[in-house]
Amino acid sequence: MNDSAIQILEAAAQILMAPPNLVTSEQRHQAESVFLEFRTTKNPYELCRDILEKSTSDYVLFEAAGLIKSGLIREWSLLSKEDTCSIREYLLNYLLKKENPPFLKERLLQTIAIIIKRGSVDDGGRERKALLAELEKIILSSPISQQKLACSLILAIMQEFAITVKSADVGLIWEVHFRLKKSFETINLKRIFRFTIGVLEQIIRSGHPPEGEQAMLIKQLITIIETILCWSHVSPLLSKRLIGAFEAIYESETAPALRLSVNWRDTIMKPELIALFFELHIYVRSNPDLANPSLTCLVQLASLSGVVVSASNLKQQYLENYVNYFLRMLSFIQPVEREMLGIAEIYRRLIQFFTPAMIAATPPAFLQYLTTYTCHCIRGSIIEEGINEDTLLREALNKFLHSWSSLVHDSDGYSNETLQNPCIEVFNTYLQCRLAPPDGTRGLEVKDGCGEDIKEDIEEDERQLYSDVLMTIGAMGRKAPVHCCHVLFTLLQDRSKRLESQLHLLHLGKLPVNGGEQLVTLFEDLHWILMIIGHFLAVDCSGSEATVPPELMQYSIKENANIDASLRYLVGETTTPENIDPIIKLVGAILRISEWECAALEAGLGSVFSPELSATISWLLKIWANSYLMLDPAEYSEMSAVIECAFRQESTAAAWVVQRLAKRSSVVLKHLAAQPVAAKHALQLLAHLTNAHPNKNQLASCEEFMALVAWEASGSNLPGESRKELHRVFARVASFTDGEAKNRLLASTAALQQKLMNLINMDTDTEPVRNMLADTLDCFLGVSEGMLEFGTMDDQLTMLFGALDKIPGIIFKYHNYPGVVLPALNFLSKSAKNAMHSQQRDTVNKFVDICNTTFEVYARWNSGKISSIPQDAEEEAYEDTTALMELVRWLACGERGRGACARGLRLLLPLVSPALLALPALAQRVFRLLRDLDAAEELTILPIEDFNMVIAALRIGLTAVSSDVSTLCCETIVGLSNKAQMMGEDDQYSLSLLTLAELLLMLIIKMEIPPDSIPAAGAAIYSLTCVKPSLLEGLARQVIEAFAANDPANVPRLEDAFRLLTNGVLFDGYRPHKIRFQDNFDKFLASVHGFLIVK
Amino acid sequence: MGDIEDTHFETGDSGASATFPMQCSALRKNGFVMLKGRPCKIVEMSTSKTGKHGHAKVHLVGIDIFNGKKYEDICPSTHNMDVPHVKREDYQLTDISDDGYLTLMADNGDLREDLKIPDGDLGAQLRSDFDSGKELLCTVLKSCGEECVIAVKANTALDK
Repeated sequence: MNDSAIQILEAAAQILMAPPNLVTSEQRHQAESVFLEFRTTKNPYELCRDILEKSTSDYVLFEAAGLIKSGLIREWSLLSKEDTCSIREYLLNYLLKKENPPFLKERLLQTIAIIIKRGSVDDGGRERKALLAELEKIILSSPISQQKLACSLILAIMQEFAITVKSADVGLIWEVHFRLKKSFETINLKRIFRFTIGVLEQIIRSGHPPEGEQAMLIKQLITIIETILCWSHVSPLLSKRLIGAFEAIYESETAPALRLSVNWRDTIMKPELIALFFELHIYVRSNPDLANPSLTCLVQLASLSGVVVSASNLKQQYLENYVNYFLRMLSFIQPVEREMLGIAEIYRRLIQFFTPAMIAATPPAFLQYLTTYTCHCIRGSIIEEGINEDTLLREALNKFLHSWSSLVHDSDGYSNETLQNPCIEVFNTYLQCRLAPPDGTRGLEVKDGCGEDIKEDIEEDERQLYSDVLMTIGAMGRKAPVHCCHVLFTLLQDRSKRLESQLHLLHLGKLPVNGGEQLVTLFEDLHWILMIIGHFLAVDCSGSEATVPPELMQYSIKENANIDASLRYLVGETTTPENIDPIIKLVGAILRISEWECAALEAGLGSVFSPELSATISWLLKIWANSYLMLDPAEYSEMSAVIECAFRQESTAAAWVVQRLAKRSSVVLKHLAAQPVAAKHALQLLAHLTNAHPNKNQLASCEEFMALVAWEASGSNLPGESRKELHRVFARVASFTDGEAKNRLLASTAALQQKLMNLINMDTDTEPVRNMLADTLDCFLGVSEGMLEFGTMDDQLTMLFGALDKIPGIIFKYHNYPGVVLPALNFLSKSAKNAMHSQQRDTVNKFVDICNTTFEVYARWNSGKISSIPQDAEEEAYEDTTALMELVRWLACGERGRGACARGLRLLLPLVSPALLALPALAQRVFRLLRDLDAAEELTILPIEDFNMVIAALRIGLTAVSSDVSTLCCETIVGLSNKAQMMGEDDQYSLSLLTLAELLLMLIIKMEIPPDSIPAAGAAIYSLTCVKPSLLEGLARQVIEAFAANDPANVPRLEDAFRLLTNGVLFDGYRPHKIRFQDNFDKFLASVHGFLIVK
Repeated sequence: MGDIEDTHFETGDSGASATFPMQCSALRKNGFVMLKGRPCKIVEMSTSKTGKHGHAKVHLVGIDIFNGKKYEDICPSTHNMDVPHVKREDYQLTDISDDGYLTLMADNGDLREDLKIPDGDLGAQLRSDFDSGKELLCTVLKSCGEECVIAVKANTALDK
């Protein structure tokens, strides 16, 4: 009988594997159903054995192996010990007998591993121990093919025991998975480790080169060791959620530290063991397949921590031993690129896991190799950038720099004297690689200019891309300030002079109009010199204020330069560099190059000057100003007199610098407005000057800044985005200014308001008018964002509301033009946060009224609209909906906003079509909004028709593939249920909500809900049942009845499972029962998924 | 960029130019621009440059406002592009003639009968809604001498 079954399966497999032109879809469909049915076969072991023996079809063999596995999981409780033993023995013999294709071998190995794991539940691991002993014997004495198989099986068993939270072996509850893992760790893991190490040692001693089949065996042995060294030894005291998070980390690419318990001490502390690992690496390093796992072992060993080395002398001893063999290996080999990454990781881990003092006590070669390799990687990484394919050396460099960053910042490690020369070497190498010849070695491989197109929105800003690397290079430079200050100043001065003369020649028309290649090389040199100077002078911590780095402060104190001469040099009154503070000298040179750029732009050379360099200059001035400008001597324990005189708050020099910076921003905006990168950074520089503490804010008294305000008020003609930012800055400064200065600032808002009125009142409705209107609305958005808070109705707020007031009218008139509607909605929604948080009732009321009218107008023109270009209409709806949702969310914040919030939802819900909900980003926003509104109790005050729309949306959300969305939906259901519980089960809101229960339960049972949302789904089921205590029982009956028709044999198991689910649980909504239900729910799932899965 | 000659044609009625020039950097997403001689709505704007120290060019992706077809173009950010005059006006639908022409009434009561029922799904929906007695509002798009109905909605404005 089995033979005919095999024939049917083989025929079906042939159809499935046939090319599409040879079979009809009908035939294919039939063949598929043959296998679907095959997968549900009960007690399939005899049949599968027959298939494994007789069938020649790979597909059928694969299916049979899968069926044995799922059959065992489903029917485990029905099988006797003898049955499972005989299946296991059969499978092992089957695998040992002949070489099988990998897909079949892996499935069968996993099946054996699952049998072993399941068996351990009852026999305390006896069978497991016996099998492992058998495998050891095979590895010691059988032919190599069998040895390899035994290794594979050990790996499969380890894999099965390693993961508890997301184990593929469904049918066991997590606590059992976890107990088994702990038992495996205690009884078997160390034994496997020692045994495998012993085998590897023999192989190394044998002297045979790692080639052919032998290499494959070695690879498996090393992989076993690697897996043990990367094993997640998780504490049983942690919660399941945390353990799940840990296991996810261990599954990721770089394993966390090697933490071992005390019973590993006798093994891991043996000096010969570490020696063997280095020997092993030298033995296999020529074979990349083997070298990678062997390096991973060394990396893991470099991070040994935990109780096994809790005493510091043990740690010290271990490190000495490790570093000893590590340096011996380095002296012996010439690392290749892929090894560099591993070596860098070893350095990083040693420095991270052992104390700075221990590291500083290592032999000098440790630091020497680190320096040499870092320089090597710097050179190599820059070549890689040009080729843009491999990133090995770049990754290695990042790791080396990570180590350096720790070394230069640890005060109790290496002394400054020891670090100085290595730091100079690395600093110089980096600088050289970035500069063109003759000073540097930057070659053609680097993209320094011509030729290819660079997409600004995709390619990352270099100032950000390299900030990590440059931050460390800067910190290393500060370890040798005398050398680095001098080098940087000399280079900057030289290039500045060259730039000045080039620009001069250009101005006189003596160079080609584009400036030629020479100019591009100069731009690139300056770009890098300035980026390095930036990170040398200051620490780029965007946002928060930073201080002058202590090394530079000390350097300035030590130099004790002439104050007057230094200040005169700073403002450009003298150029003789004698007796001048070195830091001031560098800052002066930076200000000078900014002046030259401004002069060039004003002389009409904007079309040749590099926007990128302009951006870098603005960026440098911004991060420099963040640390130095308007400094407060109270924040420093020691202070250089020169720096204090130059940059403290009330100093004339500081006020002078602010004027220069404001002037710079203004010139760049006027001449490079069409270059986004230059304009953006000029605006950021300006914005930064407003970020400073109000009493440090000098912009209000800065004439250059006021001139910029006046220029914008008179119609600056800048692109919309830049104008918006500018108005944000103006509004910010106006917020903490008063008197005449405030009036001058508000003049720009007044001009904006006038413009808005003119545009609205214009009779002609043309494209230029609409474009200006959109720009003006964006500017008001800038004003709104710039204002610190919406306080009492002062002039500024009155003007802003004057504009907000116009929004409903604008949307009414321009409803057919998304280019106007969207900026109007954005302006409103971005103002909502400030408005709803205002302490002033009037402000809130006024804002809410505007929103109400806007919702009305928007709905009037948009609900039920059908367009001839549906995709475009969808895109527009997406953008509008996003802005409206933001608005509704903020409205929910205030008591007064609630009515408006309900109105907004009414408008929103019909707009959010199922097609829009299918877009993951939007879906997440919608359901987050619903959850937040539920928490704010906004949903249950909706009219019932609207509430039904919410329920319909949740129905869609539950079936979403994203776990974020389905979790949000479940959380919303929990919240709604809590309210429904108080309203009673017959309330119309409760009835509507309860319609979700069946769908939710079916999704859970069929495992169609994302695994990460399962706990939330359990909570949702519990809360729903609290609304109507008979709910779950009724649903259970429904499910069982449906089941009885197809699979009567499993009905008792299903009944048991449901009994288990409600066992001892009261549906009262209180915590103890909620928790008990969650426990039951886990057991319920383990049991139901165990016999229901047909995946 | 499209051929300038193509884009500067005159509109029949007003005699004014169908397009006007605008600096590329001042264009906005959701605004309009001529791409390959067709009036388009800008759906995507990004910048690129030739070499790190080069000047910005704007990459524009737009869809033809009449038929949704996609067009792309690239232009230095300091240069000008042609922007079409676009008008979208709402009319109340009062009748559909036997030969498929719509009778449309403007806000001021003026009637026009020169537009045909639109093609495709929109046209079918329009006809069935009209036949079932719904008050319909039609949005008529006009640009570069072309004119047609691009959207329809039930006229809720009348209830209010």
